[in-house]
Amino acid sequence: MAVRETPGFRTALAAAVAGGLLLAGPAAPGVTKAAAAASSTGTSSGKTLRVAMDGSGVDTLNPFTSFFNGALDIFGSIYPTLTSIDDSGAPKPYLATSWTLSDDHLTWTFKLRDGLKWSDGKPLTAADAAWTLHLIMTNDVAATANGTLVAGFDTVTAPDATTLVIKTKKPKSNVTYSSIPFSGIPIVPKHIWESQVAGLKDFKNDSFPVVGYGPWILTDYKNGQYAKLDANKSFVLGAPKYDHLIEQIYKETDAAVAALKSGQLDYISGVNATEYASLQHVDGVQTAQAVGHGWVGLELNPGAKTRTGKPIGTGNPALHDPVLRRAIALSIDKKTLVTKVLNGQGQVAEGYLPPAWPQWSWQPAPGKKQSYDPVAANKLLDDAGYKRGPGGTRTDPKTGKPLNLRLGIHSDDSADAAISRYLVGWLKVVGINAKIQAMSMSALNSDLGKGNWDMLMDAWTTGPDPTYQLGIQSCSTLPKDDGTGGNTDSFFCDPAYDKLFAKQATLFDPAERAKAVGQMQEILYEADVDLMFYNATTKIAASSKVGGLITGKPNADGFYPAQQTFWSYLKATPASAGASASSSGGGSTGLWLGIAGAVIVLGAGVAVVRRRAGADDRE
Amino acid sequence: MTAAQTTVAALPTRFAGARRFARAFRGRPSGVAGLVILVAFSLLALAAPLFIGDDELDVTKVDGPLLAPPSAHYPLGTDQSGRSVLLLLIWGSRESLRIGVIATVLTVVFGSAVGIIAGHYGGFVGRILMQVTDWFIALPSLPLAISLAAVLGQGSMSITIAIAVTSWTATARLVRAQTLAVEARPFVERARVLGAGDRQIMVKQVLPNVMPLILVSSTLTVAGSLLSEATLTFLGLGNPADVTWGEMLHEAFFGGAFTAGAWWFLLPPGLAILAVVLAFTLTGRAVEYVLDPRMEKK
Repeated sequence: MAVRETPGFRTALAAAVAGGLLLAGPAAPGVTKAAAAASSTGTSSGKTLRVAMDGSGVDTLNPFTSFFNGALDIFGSIYPTLTSIDDSGAPKPYLATSWTLSDDHLTWTFKLRDGLKWSDGKPLTAADAAWTLHLIMTNDVAATANGTLVAGFDTVTAPDATTLVIKTKKPKSNVTYSSIPFSGIPIVPKHIWESQVAGLKDFKNDSFPVVGYGPWILTDYKNGQYAKLDANKSFVLGAPKYDHLIEQIYKETDAAVAALKSGQLDYISGVNATEYASLQHVDGVQTAQAVGHGWVGLELNPGAKTRTGKPIGTGNPALHDPVLRRAIALSIDKKTLVTKVLNGQGQVAEGYLPPAWPQWSWQPAPGKKQSYDPVAANKLLDDAGYKRGPGGTRTDPKTGKPLNLRLGIHSDDSADAAISRYLVGWLKVVGINAKIQAMSMSALNSDLGKGNWDMLMDAWTTGPDPTYQLGIQSCSTLPKDDGTGGNTDSFFCDPAYDKLFAKQATLFDPAERAKAVGQMQEILYEADVDLMFYNATTKIAASSKVGGLITGKPNADGFYPAQQTFWSYLKATPASAGASASSSGGGSTGLWLGIAGAVIVLGAGVAVVRRRAGADDRE
Repeated sequence: MTAAQTTVAALPTRFAGARRFARAFRGRPSGVAGLVILVAFSLLALAAPLFIGDDELDVTKVDGPLLAPPSAHYPLGTDQSGRSVLLLLIWGSRESLRIGVIATVLTVVFGSAVGIIAGHYGGFVGRILMQVTDWFIALPSLPLAISLAAVLGQGSMSITIAIAVTSWTATARLVRAQTLAVEARPFVERARVLGAGDRQIMVKQVLPNVMPLILVSSTLTVAGSLLSEATLTFLGLGNPADVTWGEMLHEAFFGGAFTAGAWWFLLPPGLAILAVVLAFTLTGRAVEYVLDPRMEKK
């Protein structure tokens, strides 16, 4: 499951910007709110882990209709799934202990654990799983959130209490990813939900404790404030070390950071680079970076067309030439982007799928790597007949027009803006004149869909199953002749790629599937339509009083594997001797300087406004 | 100010008037200080291409340390890409001043035209024009400017237009009021009796008499435009490839200079905006005093 970076986040960022320089403002109310929740939970006995909920919060606790990450996090904790995901991104046992695929690649048989019980004491069997999946396949409301995950399922049956059989219409190698924590389908208790099917759309699922099975049991949820969970000490994958879990909701991560500094919070995933820097040297706080599950890159319009091959849009025809696209690829110094734009908080990207899921990671063969080489890029263009005109800009030999290319960037993304300055400089060296067009997210995507673009900055994040992410590069996602139905990432279309896309769906052996996926990434790499720049890390901050929260071992760059809250919360261990948290004002000098600067500028503004008002009055 | 009081007795020579104005202006130290600052910034902006090469501002060519504090080689330190903040500051004055001045010219020309026409014709035309003006005054200017810049596409051009569209109203109101006052004087009536048409009255009689007011208004408008430019680019509506003071603040703020405590990247553009805005305000006020004898009594 892949998510184009949500407009919501960007809008929130813009709103924060519009809030102006009052960065210090929101922290204060946030702290008091966190303190209130902390004290209200002080009455329950045992150790409590306090984490910041994902900023999106909870839309509804009904797992059939919920989209928000905060809710998905809770479902991962309170409902079981068929499989879990390990550090490499591969499916591992959870409810299912093993699974097999029939020779015709169409029938999956899952062996489920015996003797598990829902939190109300009723047995948890394959019938619950079959009922849940079947409901999503047959009921439109139930399919709201996860309908795409069962697309292609033919029948789901439970011949006995520990066997689940899934038959698919066509071979579908990602069936083992359909029901995973967080991004897959949570299995719900049939005996509770059966009576709710009629009113499923409006069912809030808010009678506490919520009947489920998982490492945690949801005991309370206050909209916009917190979710309280108790540990399931008999959890089959190992009991949580904490007795209680509180997911605290913060409107701004700044407030969460302040709460972490003052010891009222134990874990935040996804702090921004600035907050990360300010937390790095604070006593009582540990920070870590996890390899990124997304990429930032540049798309080149290879000639937008519909499914029937009808050209559409205003893309510059010069970019149809693979030589020009390769020259652009060679003129970009990704390493500089990582060190200068990202402050080293990321990795240079080559393959299309992110390093968070190592089983799909692909690297170009040594001789095939497209490294930064402006000399080679210039030579390619010279040889292909792109002659330099006045001002050093080359002309397209086919049309005789100078190479003026539009470069679309997200107007509310400071990384895009910083990168675009480098791109313009590098492209100038090879004789290409790039004109920056900063646009809103929606304007950019609308232009993309219509083919009205030359070069675009884009960013994606990907879950452990790459099917969707690979799918948006296939010919079948091109728009229809009437302009609708398109879902293409960049109008890439290659029959060889599509053949491999169909083939990888039939491969049961993960290694074989990974090989096919690698070949697909190689085709993308050689086509130079999606130029990967970097995979930025996910930045995590946690209280140093908690052990085990950050899972896995760091790699050579010091980056941890992708973090899954399912495992992080499960493995978190209270430290026996807690180091006392004392916050030191690392960033406060800058803060005060900034405030001083803001006061000066605003003061001048006020002075002018007052003056003008005075002038008006006098007339 | 004796010069101002002897206005009536002076010879109607163009140069004599200018000399008298200069003498009166010299008597206002704050105005002189403002003018000196303005001249200094203008000279620096005009001369910048003589001593700043393209390579020194191109992020792909510079090789300075990243976000380094001031040193002998980089008197104001460097930004996140290793460019000299001093050179950015000087280069930034070009675009910032250009946007400010062009926006002001647009504002003043349009505002004055509306003001004079509304004041001269009065009646239905005047009412309609003033109602449109009031309507624009009632619009919150910052959101309007942001939406305009978003609709027109980003960059200095759209920012200039956005500033002009949101700031012409004050000038229009001022000029209309002054036009009404001027047209009530006998010499306009005399001209009308002698057969002068609307156009002649507006251009030959009214315009020269509202000119001092327009002049004063424009110096203050420039200050406002500069601030608006900084605000809009700070909010991310500028072209990231341009170098302006607002863009510098934007980069510093969103690029993490704030947290890194890199005061050398945050303060200079802010102080430069402060200095130039203050200079325009001081100059404008001094000119206002010199041109308007009534100010002496306040």
